[in-house]
Amino acid sequence: MPGDGVLVLGAAGFLGQHVVDALRAEGVEPRCGRRARGNVLGLRARRATMVVADLDEPATLDAAMAGCGTVVHVAGHYPRLSTDRDATLARGLRQTDAVVRAARAAGVRRLVYVSSTATVRPVPGRPSAEADRYPAPPGVGVYHDLKWAMEARLDGVADLDVRVALPSGCVGPGDLRFGTAGMLLALARGDDPPHPDGTVSLVDPRDAAVGIARLARVDDAPRRLVLSAVDARLHALLVRLADRYGVAPPRPPLDPEAAVALADRAEAEVAGTPRRPAMSREIVDLALHSAAVDGTLATRALGVRYRPFAETLDDFDAWARRLGALPPSPPEARP
Amino acid sequence: MNEPALETRIFAILSNLSAVPAADIRRADRLREDLGMDSVASMELISMLSEEFAIDVELEEAARIVDVEGLLTLAERRIGDG
Repeated sequence: MPGDGVLVLGAAGFLGQHVVDALRAEGVEPRCGRRARGNVLGLRARRATMVVADLDEPATLDAAMAGCGTVVHVAGHYPRLSTDRDATLARGLRQTDAVVRAARAAGVRRLVYVSSTATVRPVPGRPSAEADRYPAPPGVGVYHDLKWAMEARLDGVADLDVRVALPSGCVGPGDLRFGTAGMLLALARGDDPPHPDGTVSLVDPRDAAVGIARLARVDDAPRRLVLSAVDARLHALLVRLADRYGVAPPRPPLDPEAAVALADRAEAEVAGTPRRPAMSREIVDLALHSAAVDGTLATRALGVRYRPFAETLDDFDAWARRLGALPPSPPEARP
Repeated sequence: MNEPALETRIFAILSNLSAVPAADIRRADRLREDLGMDSVASMELISMLSEEFAIDVELEEAARIVDVEGLLTLAERRIGDG
């Protein structure tokens, strides 16, 4: 029988944990979906109610969704590598279908799906917004096409109240894998990471999580919602950050073809291993093919407030230092 | 719980995550260099440990563990506290 419960798929992840916090701040105690095996230290520390909900084990989704009226899906396939387009898309769509099937079976009414600004089409002359969609797969890389395909699949789901959150690159405390923040961390350690140039959009995951939680709770909410606080040119941002961390300025950016080739080589080197590439093709594609995005609808419609980026960096630094990922001494200069 | 039983259970978890046979694991082994576990796998290991033995481990504490000896010391201390 359908109920009022809220299930968070991917609750143990970087953004998922912040979504749990944001839902609690909204007065909701969510059920937290996790894989049978994985790092749940954060959820245990939160004294969260956990349930196994593995998108590759569809039977677990039925039990996890029982009694839930809302599912917040923060577990969308996030490929480590961009080397196998067909297999990546097939897995992402298979998982999406599994979520929808289980949601229907459980009588779920609302599905909040967390995608990416990779599905927001750049538009000349202004920041892109929710209405700017690609009419077909973007065709710039596996990550973009995957995110487009999974959202397109949900377009065809008319019997659920589907809402799509579109966070930009999440930088903030809690990112154990140092995904988007990996380049920042390498720079702060003095590694001078090779990088392309282009527009990057960033958001504090705590603020993005507020938007996601409100999409889950508010009846009159947008169907598609960009969650993004700041846009910057990647190289200029790294120059500012080098000053902040007191390290040498980064080398000049790679030209696009060289950046793609370097990322493809880095991914080929770790294919067949569990290791992460030194430079991921997804990050290169995002930098080369993104434009500024407009995250203000979240503020107007749902009251989401974006904290200053300097505050995000301060909190990220403090967190990374506690984990030993950054040296213990505080930065001497802050832009 | 006596120490050999604890060590056996922890070595089984280590073996499961690292694919190194439990019989080949030594207390002095380093998680990264000797057992091939990156930081993500190490966190997963400590999370499994916290569930297996129902103990709380702070992320900062987990991040400081770099070898099997440190893992066993943590488990022995926490289980003793409990």
